[in-house]
Amino acid sequence: MGVRKIDVARCTGCSICVEYCPMDVLKMDGKSQKAFIKYLRDCQGCFLCERVCPENAVYCVPVYERRIPLPW
Amino acid sequence: MNNQEHETDVLVIGGGIAGTFAAIKAREAGAAEVVQVDKASVGRSGCSAFAAGVIQAFSPDEDDREDCFREAVIKSHFLCDQEKLEDHLDDSADRIKEMDSLGVEFVKTAQGKLQRQVGRGKFTSIMFHGGYQMMEAMRRAASRTGVKLVDRVMIVDLLTDGGRIAGAIGFNTDSGEVHEFMAKSVVLAAGRTWLKTRRPGHRNLSGDGIAAAYRAGLTLTGFDSGGVNTGPAMYDIGPGNNMYMGSGATLVNADGERFVEKYDPVLKERTELHTLSAACAIEAKRGKTPLYLDMTHIEPEKVRLMRRVIPSPMMMWERAGVLAGDRFTRKIEWVTEGPSVRGGLLVNRRYETTLPGLFACGDAMPSSGTWGQNALAGAMTSGARAGKHAAEYAREVSPPEADAEQISELKRQMLEPLLRKDGIEPDQVLLSLQEAVMPYDVWTLRSEERMSRALKEIESIWRDQVPLLKAYDPHYLRMAVEARNLALVSLLLLKSSLFRQESRETAREDYPYMDNINWLKWVTVKKEGEQISTSAVEVPLHRYKLKPEKGKDLHPIWRVAERQGIIRIEGERVKWA
Ligand SMILES: Cc1cc2nc3c(=O)[nH]c(=O)nc-3n(C[C@H](O)[C@H](O)[C@H](O)COP(=O)(O)OP(=O)(O)OC[C@H]3O[C@@H](n4cnc5c(N)ncnc54)[C@H](O)[C@@H]3O)c2cc1C
Ligand code: SF4
Ligand code: SF4
Repeated sequence: MGVRKIDVARCTGCSICVEYCPMDVLKMDGKSQKAFIKYLRDCQGCFLCERVCPENAVYCVPVYERRIPLPW
Repeated sequence: MNNQEHETDVLVIGGGIAGTFAAIKAREAGAAEVVQVDKASVGRSGCSAFAAGVIQAFSPDEDDREDCFREAVIKSHFLCDQEKLEDHLDDSADRIKEMDSLGVEFVKTAQGKLQRQVGRGKFTSIMFHGGYQMMEAMRRAASRTGVKLVDRVMIVDLLTDGGRIAGAIGFNTDSGEVHEFMAKSVVLAAGRTWLKTRRPGHRNLSGDGIAAAYRAGLTLTGFDSGGVNTGPAMYDIGPGNNMYMGSGATLVNADGERFVEKYDPVLKERTELHTLSAACAIEAKRGKTPLYLDMTHIEPEKVRLMRRVIPSPMMMWERAGVLAGDRFTRKIEWVTEGPSVRGGLLVNRRYETTLPGLFACGDAMPSSGTWGQNALAGAMTSGARAGKHAAEYAREVSPPEADAEQISELKRQMLEPLLRKDGIEPDQVLLSLQEAVMPYDVWTLRSEERMSRALKEIESIWRDQVPLLKAYDPHYLRMAVEARNLALVSLLLLKSSLFRQESRETAREDYPYMDNINWLKWVTVKKEGEQISTSAVEVPLHRYKLKPEKGKDLHPIWRVAERQGIIRIEGERVKWA
């Protein structure tokens, strides 16, 4: 899962998280001018968006979004 | 879709530490124009940006050079390139000094010296405040040096002009716009291949550079080396193992036994990754799972240091409820993790590949390349040298000619998944690949029978699924290209691994001996028509300083397992007790 939510009340639409996300998961919504989670399945759970958001608007969790086989 | 054309002296593909050093050094060596392109953003993607805060960098003041050299060669089981290793040891301290002056924040003592601590292996490491800070500083340095950064462009294929490099082609993962780069020389620094498996920080690396080089007919090597690590079974948390082990973490099996020390009584859990992973896999084979990593006894002072050096993983542990204040509160179920593919482009001492004008560095090279391992230290030094040599090459040649037919065909192939109305999701391909390769008894403890079965599965994925990959938009096109590249690299993995009929970096049940008579070789792969041609090149030990004893010995892992009564050797094969 990785990125869990973007708090629209806090988001100022600075787009920093969108610029940093290495997996293109986050995009800017043209209408609201806020960031939103567009491709959740491809999130790599790196927490970078949460770390760079100046408004503390992003919240991530260390939970797998996909099923990843176990080695045994 | 629109086209954007770029012309430059040097093109650097990849924005990790290797690519960024290459770009900076190419500028410093006089290249008028240097373009650095990344499928995400330069400095904010790849392993470098998520690195776990430690660099095993040789320091002439602190380390014994001969000892370091010997350790690296032995750790690589005599497969590392000893000439490049000398160059690496020459350069290491200078690169660290440069990073310090460029704004990378290292952990220092009160006297302002770089603080060192034990981690994996015999030698100490220096520490920095996480990959994100390091790469932000490096990105700023590249910009200041005049490197032109191009973000969000995924390179898909290399362009050639007769027998030399001409550039690369890719697309913007947001707009879908096609980008053509014509360059006198190119540095491939797009990192290595991971199958988007456990632990965050590497799922953006899908072997794109390696696959592009393979398609362009280059010689690659090192795919037989079973790159593995270990990590949490249930939490999506990482990296940080080096810091955990260096701070005193222990690994226990279901009976509470600390099993790794049987295999390495000196370093114990700080042992190198192949031994650690093989030890875990043997416990699984013995039915001794679940395994646990225990950090509950680590002193608060060390936990505080971990917070500085690996801030993101520590945030994740906290959020998982495993870390409270300065203490880990419970044991964590632990498994082997991989493959982390260690193959890459075959390069000479100037980091030039088999295609003139194309250079490779960092994780785009095989782990035997510089330092015997894929890590920051080798990526820094190889990147800097590759960049300098690429600038020198660019100075000597005229601009390449664009081959319109080649460009139009590569563009057609690249965009094909967007045209498909019905097709297969990249996720489906990914899961099928992971299920074929990830089992510990395919990848970590090997046998011909199990690897052949996995190869058959991957061949069928390649034949039946990959040609049907579908993309809804440019983001999904990225995912589709990544899935195709991962399938190709998986083929290279299994072909190469089957080819090496001995136990060396990875233990084989059907060839349990390390064979220094027949296998002091690099296994290479190359495209021949539509086939993967596999062969072997002798490691040029006659030129190297350290030479192993000729002979054939039971692999150390199997020797311990035999002594413990876990296995016996019968007819030159491992039999489980
Ligand atoms: C999570 C993690 C933690 C690690 N921690 C440590 C550590 O603490 N110490 C240590 O010594 N080593 C560590 N390693 C290993 C080390 O980080 C790597 O060996 C090193 O960072 C490699 O650098 P690189 O520049 O070659 O590749 P990377 O840093 O992986 O950079 C490759 C770049 O290429 C880009 N790219 C990929 N494909 C394309 C494409 N098609 N088009 C354009 N761009 C592309 C990527 O987006 C990325 O930015 C770690 C590895 C991982 C995965
Ligand atoms: S970084 Fe934070 S404030 Fe800026 S767009 Fe993203 S969520 Fe909004
Ligand atoms: S956790 Fe990482 S991959 Fe996921 S949305 Fe945030 S920055 Fe992107």
